[in-house]
Amino acid sequence: MKSAAILGYAAVPIGSYQRRTGDDAVLEHELASSVVREAMTMAGLAKEDIEGVVVAHPGDHTRQGYFHTFLTAYLGIRARASVIQVLGNGMTGGHCFDQAILQVASGQALCTLAVGAHFETAIPTSAHLDYSIRLTGDVDFQSIFGAVPIAWYAMDAQRYLYEFGVSRATLASIALKNREHAMRNPLAQYRSALSLEDVLNARPIVEPLGLYEVPGRADGAAALVIVNEDLARASGRPYVLVRSRGFEHEGQHQLSDQGGSALDYNTLRQASHRALLDAKLSLQDMGTFQLYAPCTVVEALASEALGLFAPGRGADAARAGTTRFDGPSPINTCGGCLSRGHPPEVSPLYDVIEACTQLLGCAAERQVSRHEFALTASELGKYNAALVHVLQAMQ
Amino acid sequence: MKQRLTEIRMQGARPFPPRVSGFTLPFWRGLDEGRLLSTRCKACGQKSFPPRNLCRACWSTSLEWVDLNITGRLYSFTRIHVAPQAFRSDAPYAIGMIDLEQGPRLMCRLIGEIRPEHMGASMKMLVLRYDDGPLFGASLDIPQNQAVSQTP
Repeated sequence: MKSAAILGYAAVPIGSYQRRTGDDAVLEHELASSVVREAMTMAGLAKEDIEGVVVAHPGDHTRQGYFHTFLTAYLGIRARASVIQVLGNGMTGGHCFDQAILQVASGQALCTLAVGAHFETAIPTSAHLDYSIRLTGDVDFQSIFGAVPIAWYAMDAQRYLYEFGVSRATLASIALKNREHAMRNPLAQYRSALSLEDVLNARPIVEPLGLYEVPGRADGAAALVIVNEDLARASGRPYVLVRSRGFEHEGQHQLSDQGGSALDYNTLRQASHRALLDAKLSLQDMGTFQLYAPCTVVEALASEALGLFAPGRGADAARAGTTRFDGPSPINTCGGCLSRGHPPEVSPLYDVIEACTQLLGCAAERQVSRHEFALTASELGKYNAALVHVLQAMQ
Repeated sequence: MKQRLTEIRMQGARPFPPRVSGFTLPFWRGLDEGRLLSTRCKACGQKSFPPRNLCRACWSTSLEWVDLNITGRLYSFTRIHVAPQAFRSDAPYAIGMIDLEQGPRLMCRLIGEIRPEHMGASMKMLVLRYDDGPLFGASLDIPQNQAVSQTP
């Protein structure tokens, strides 16, 4: 296998593009093509260098079908490796990145695009939820009760508070920490200051979680240029090396009918263990962690599954500043799904972009101090599966 | 013979009705008759929920329908305030995970007031009788002289 590297990346600030009208109206392929061009400019490559295109499935609310071939044609790319569209729930963007890496690592391509655009904000939330209850449960035995995707995380939150005696305020501190990060991130959707009272007094969405502990509706577009490391080295530009990856699916869909702890995100532990072992690195080598975490409790449980904190201590780490960008274990320095914003199909691409931004020392006022290695993780279901990448700065 | 499920009358039709296959028909017929059924593997003994036509533990297709216990413990719950279109008239509504005595764990609608202090409480399974058919649900397992609210 050949080494793959990230030589260019770009994304639009997360927001509400689909709702725009008149002169401000913009379409998903217009955004996607703009980020591709910007990422390729950063890489110093021409469109003729692109040999493969991997597109994150844009979700059900994007009108243009077969978005991958449409976008490839819109960009005038002749690809000889592959043009594919991938779908994997919240892991869609992670798979997109992963498949682009595999094209390069396998030798099929010297340069592959990983790109996605997700639009949903013009779709009323209740209509969106009619669709999404079909995604995260058994449609004939669970969706029949109206279990929206974040309801599963909310049940984890209720159990977390009960089992570990964690206070609502401690759990809410994850939302505050992420907002502080987002206030320093020009790509973030929510950048106004937030107080603990704001979080605790917010209207309930899925109890015990309120408005600021769940993701808002969001549109976004992001692109990464993945190349053979020899090409990256020859460019003379700084780049990010993909050191390793790990994956695990636990063979469950949301809920294990055999009981056990719902709070053990064991797939992330397994996937990260594999990735770190393959990279010959340890958790302590990582300078930052970008974790797919649509709700406060998910970030706590994911950080515990990684082994950063003991069970029940992940939320307190945020309260204590341990997971701030200037703390010893920075998590979601972009603001995470909660404040950076969460266009689900492309959120993992934004996470990789944040990791690259940190590794290359370009994160300005949210820059972490140790930026040689970073770990990114995406998931599907309720961390029923996890996909982890370990990245390394090559200046 | 297992104890029959208490029935709660619900208003209107089921918001998002299940599909019924030839295989799952015994479950829904049983529920209609006040029974909570599922499958147990004859090869390894594992009970599953929902019912399956093969055992996910050993892939045996030698299965039998069994009555599940209709009491259990509340593992966790949430109350959903922002609901899908189909459930908007019900919002806010509660769902929860129930660990049935001797298993398995399942998720269902919760009826009556459920609060965080009820975590781990004893629960009893119910038939929720809608105009177009039954669903299953659960409520706190309280003495019979304390009526369960019929308004979820």
